[in-house]
Amino acid sequence: MNAARVKPTRIFQPRPSYGWAWLILMALIIIAVSIAPAAAMGVSSRNAILTLIICTPIALAFLILAFWFPTMRYELEQDQLTLRYGLVLRYQIPLREIRTVRRRTLSLTIWSTVRFPGIALFTVPYADVGNVKMCATAALNDILLIETDKEKYGLTPADEELFVAALRAQMEG
Amino acid sequence: MPQIYIMAVITLVFSVALWGGLTFLFTGHQKKYFWLLLLGLPLSAVANLLLKSLAIIAVGRAAHVQPGLGLAAPIWFLAFKVLVTPLVEEPVKVLPLLLRQARKMVTNQASALWAGFVLGVSFGLGEACFIAYAVAQNDPYSSLPWYAFTGFLNERIMACFAHGILTAVLVIGLQRGGRYILYGSLTAIGLHLFLNAPTVMYQFQWISYELYNTSIVIPFIVLAMIFERMRRATRELKDDPSGKEIVYWQRQDTG
Repeated sequence: MNAARVKPTRIFQPRPSYGWAWLILMALIIIAVSIAPAAAMGVSSRNAILTLIICTPIALAFLILAFWFPTMRYELEQDQLTLRYGLVLRYQIPLREIRTVRRRTLSLTIWSTVRFPGIALFTVPYADVGNVKMCATAALNDILLIETDKEKYGLTPADEELFVAALRAQMEG
Repeated sequence: MPQIYIMAVITLVFSVALWGGLTFLFTGHQKKYFWLLLLGLPLSAVANLLLKSLAIIAVGRAAHVQPGLGLAAPIWFLAFKVLVTPLVEEPVKVLPLLLRQARKMVTNQASALWAGFVLGVSFGLGEACFIAYAVAQNDPYSSLPWYAFTGFLNERIMACFAHGILTAVLVIGLQRGGRYILYGSLTAIGLHLFLNAPTVMYQFQWISYELYNTSIVIPFIVLAMIFERMRRATRELKDDPSGKEIVYWQRQDTG
């Protein structure tokens, strides 16, 4: 009988951005910086090869993240919200643990993370709210911040009003 | 034309974009500090060609130390040569504050931080040009293609950031006045020595090239931590974006 009451999973897309372009740009810069010494000194140079070995996986990681950019989404289920990005990011937020839902602009820190204009992924430290688990197409401006008892999550749904209304209905319903 | 100049131009563009962009973002999109980027450009050449070399020659002559001895020079003289860089460069970097327009910008600790940071970055940009010029005079390097100088690119971008932090420390001390001028000066000089320590240890052949490459990262991390602490301590209320916050939902028992 209870099964009939289970609501279907609703999927919300993030608002559009050029975050993927930044990821590709970063990969290209890393590739250029790592290939240049090998091109200049030849592949027989130990340092040039070492630079290539270190930089190639980092550049590939950025390219893979760029490839997965269209997979970012927010899944609102019966009792939890799931933030997804490719195969590497999956944050599950139990609705009963949510304390606040607010939109705000966050303050930058200089610490390096996966955070560029138009994309922020994984745990990102912010000067004002501390560490936030991000799955968003913006790094600072107009972040929907969901705070639970243990964590803070940052997301950027395309239709924020619709998303918040659905989330509230699910939490209060 | 020696191809290091091409890499020097790339370095300047990246450094200005990166550290100028950082200043722009952290100051709430203020552009008023950017003109300071021009003031420090000639100061590295002044410090290196005039002040440092003059000081080393003068002290060497007074103590009858022959020039060009390298590591064979007396230990106190080597120590002096290590010390002379921060002792000369740190005061030189704040010389633009003698200009009334520049000094007027430093009204509180936040503006001291950003004016100092931009002046330091400016000094670093000039230093990159000066080093590129010095390398170009060196025959073995002058024939290398521009893309062989990625080490120069990485090092100079980070050096601009480091100069920015050191100058910010000093300018904050100057802005606070009194004993803080001394504290700021000593801290900037001490941090500069700390930053140069891996290079000096490598030049003295105390550490290997591999250890030098690894240990050079440590001072930069320490400087970044200091910068972040200073930035938070001097953050102005108007920089706090939380005033525009919209609370959509709050659990009732959270108060």
